[in-house]
Amino acid sequence: MVVAFMTKTLKNHPALIPLLVFISGGTLMSGTYLARLALRNPDVSWDRKNNPEPWNNIAPNQQYKLFAVNMDYSKLKKDRPDF
Amino acid sequence: MADIIEEKVKNYRTAPFDARFPNTNQTRNCFQNYLDFHRCSQALSDKGQDVSPCDWYQRVYKSLCPVSWVSKWDDQIETGSFPGKI
Repeated sequence: MVVAFMTKTLKNHPALIPLLVFISGGTLMSGTYLARLALRNPDVSWDRKNNPEPWNNIAPNQQYKLFAVNMDYSKLKKDRPDF
Repeated sequence: MADIIEEKVKNYRTAPFDARFPNTNQTRNCFQNYLDFHRCSQALSDKGQDVSPCDWYQRVYKSLCPVSWVSKWDDQIETGSFPGKI
């Protein structure tokens, strides 16, 4: 029903199509970024009993940042003692 | 492993880049190394092994953490009220 309403409105006012495209693109981008933060961020712990320190699960050369300037992650290796 | 660590402690300059904490806020890096030092000391002394590999963590947290935090946490460990899990 919403789709029929939308197509009818857009057919009568075609200038609104770019508005729809950009607004929905923006919503999608912010939504996916929030989802990435919620699910992939190593500072977020959903299950405190089984995964209490999720930042310790990252490999020494794994990159979380989207754009890392001046940092060659492939050359990193683990340098902490085991215990 | 122990002599590699000993050499690394001898050539220590500053805390290396840690991929777990890539951003400007290094608070958690400081706290994690403090915890790791104490966990390492406890684990190795429980097993009866030499505790000297843990010095790496001590050097790192001494580089990163403000002195006031370290002394506060040390006091808390002595009184038994330290909030972290060791």
